[in-house]
Amino acid sequence: MTELRALLAAELRIFVRDKTSLTFTFLFPLLFILIFGSLMGGMGSAEGRRLGLVVVGGDAETLRTVVAQIGQLETTEYVAPADLDAAVTSRDVDFGLVWDGRTLTTVVDVRRFEENSAYEEIARGIASRFNLAIQGREPLVDVEKVVEGSGASADWLTRVLPGILAFSVLSAGLFAVAGHITSMKQRRLLDRLVVTPMHPVNLVAAVVVSRLGVVFASTLITLAAAIQVFRVELHVHWVRYVASVVAATVGSMGLGTAIALVVRQPSSAGSLANVLSITMMFVSGIYFPVEIMPAFLRAVSAAMPLRYMADALRYATGVMDMSPARFWATNAVLLGLGVALLPVLSRYLVRAERR
Amino acid sequence: MSAVLSIARAQVAVTLRERITLFWFLVFPLFVLALMTLVFSNVGEDGGDMTFEITLVNLDRPSPGGADFSSGIAEALRHLGEPREGGEDPLFALHVPGEDVEPHAYLDEELAALRVGRRAAVVVIPQGFSENAARAAFASGETVSSKLSVHTSGGRTSSDLAASILDQVFATVDREILTRLGLFDAGRSVVLARREIGTQGREFRYVDFLLPGVVLMGFLTAGLFSVPGTILFGREQKILRTYWVTPLDVPRYFAGFALGHVALCALQFACVVLLGRFAFGARVDLLQPVPLLYLVLAAATSLAIGFLIAAVARTGNAGMAIANIVNMPMMFLGGLFFPIGELSPALRAAMLANPVTYLADGLRASTGAEAGVLPPVATVAVPLAWIALCVGVAAFRLRLDEKR
Repeated sequence: MTELRALLAAELRIFVRDKTSLTFTFLFPLLFILIFGSLMGGMGSAEGRRLGLVVVGGDAETLRTVVAQIGQLETTEYVAPADLDAAVTSRDVDFGLVWDGRTLTTVVDVRRFEENSAYEEIARGIASRFNLAIQGREPLVDVEKVVEGSGASADWLTRVLPGILAFSVLSAGLFAVAGHITSMKQRRLLDRLVVTPMHPVNLVAAVVVSRLGVVFASTLITLAAAIQVFRVELHVHWVRYVASVVAATVGSMGLGTAIALVVRQPSSAGSLANVLSITMMFVSGIYFPVEIMPAFLRAVSAAMPLRYMADALRYATGVMDMSPARFWATNAVLLGLGVALLPVLSRYLVRAERR
Repeated sequence: MSAVLSIARAQVAVTLRERITLFWFLVFPLFVLALMTLVFSNVGEDGGDMTFEITLVNLDRPSPGGADFSSGIAEALRHLGEPREGGEDPLFALHVPGEDVEPHAYLDEELAALRVGRRAAVVVIPQGFSENAARAAFASGETVSSKLSVHTSGGRTSSDLAASILDQVFATVDREILTRLGLFDAGRSVVLARREIGTQGREFRYVDFLLPGVVLMGFLTAGLFSVPGTILFGREQKILRTYWVTPLDVPRYFAGFALGHVALCALQFACVVLLGRFAFGARVDLLQPVPLLYLVLAAATSLAIGFLIAAVARTGNAGMAIANIVNMPMMFLGGLFFPIGELSPALRAAMLANPVTYLADGLRASTGAEAGVLPPVATVAVPLAWIALCVGVAAFRLRLDEKR
């Protein structure tokens, strides 16, 4: 027990002294939220969108009334289509509408590809109402939208947050082995440790426990910052949250072990872990929805553990519903992966370095 | 001159021999280009090649001889459940209750399936829909409407995308109903058109937007990490001191270092452009005089920022931590991978202070593929100002252990 305590203290001290690890673990999730929250926070919503309007045809007042009825739009009128084009290009407005008495033309900057579908949806809504209004008609059918489930109020950032937490957990677990331990092996620190009375299992246990502590601290700080700064509304179920974080951390360390075993040079393990974690970040629906990807990438995504970690954390934080059976099965598989592979890590620690 | 070339050659050789440096310098930009091009290859296409699981529960039972508008909606949704052009999978996999199934119980089951993500949306046409729609059409002066509901699952993008497609379907329902009742003058109907700007008449492809961004990302990463890494770790490991006991002086060391950096940037640029062009069909032409000048400016800016980090950090580890912290905001707020839209005032200020914003805009505009967002003068002046600032600070603060 003394041995484990000493190793645990050493592990924590090493972590705290490593500025790069500290940055990645504590600062990066916050930076991701700050930058992506601002860059993509309004994605898909009509609220606060800036519309540039040019009216050169009849029924001008009708169109203005319809645009005002749509609401949530900041509208600026321009005299000529060229002025509107310049405003859209310089991003003074988000998109434009030009009415020439017959055609209502939506003007979009094609480079804003991630937002244009939302603008075009707004334009379709305006055209549809305007179409009725110029014939003196009101809409007949009211399409009521009902959002089901616990994530009813989930905006883009609320949905992304559990994914960022899952990515933090994955990185911490993965690099604890395919980074920290492989680096110790390369620097021959393990060679020195294994000639002491230390049992390799104690070292693995110290790494696991220290990383769990770090992961809990990091995810809780990120959660608190998101709630305080961005007013993200979460309904955290703490039992599910703890279960998800533990299973995901241990599972990620299992993955790290698999990398350490596969890669011949310990120094290459970190690079492979980087490739794997970044691939997972892009294709697991953390920042970009899986649904926008081509079919083959969606198939790749289905094989990525991070996707399931993120879904489990979305359920644990009340962002998305999931069947309890699926939630516990996900965590059991992740935990099983770690439990199955971590004993192999003990053997890796004492194994002579391959050359 | 030979000393300068030797230093440059040494820098290139060290980078190419070190696996980790080689990975970040050469493999990583290629990997980002490939991955992001693939991830966003469907963007702009509604629903892409997805098939959405949609349920329709039609509770409307029009009276015999009365108007039946609900079956028109059901037919439109059924049509979207048929294979798309070219034999592709349909947009919707439509679920409807069987003849012998009680519709309300079926609806409850489908809503439960929706909540856990097995359905993307559930459309409910309520009883009396057609009757209410007909009444609304002939009502004068009073606001009457007929409701239908679209249920989506909170927190799921597939549900949002399905709802967006359903919106397009339902946007024409009013007009269809009025036309059938003879109350809509098709001759006065509004034509909806779309005009794209921002690409100077060319077709927009994400890879053409991304490729200059990835080239700049590679330059930035090289400058931010390799310059402080070489100088700070070189200082810690007393490698720099070994240089100063030779006839080499600091200006020639820096000249060689800068030459090596530019050579590595050129190598990286060639690899990224070749992959973009031959693997992903990128058409953006960076091999023109003005884009090449922007690339030289970008390499010089990244080098200068690297020197600034080396000047302010005390140790190699601190330098790497600072590089990590500034790298990500510079990349994402510089619009390297996505265009920058509306930002909060603080982030907008950060974006406007970021030299990468100007380099990316200037480089893209100079290829002729896109219209620039920022004034052309600023795209040169701001990076130059950064170079001057960084070199100024580095001149005062950078310690190279050169005193003998």
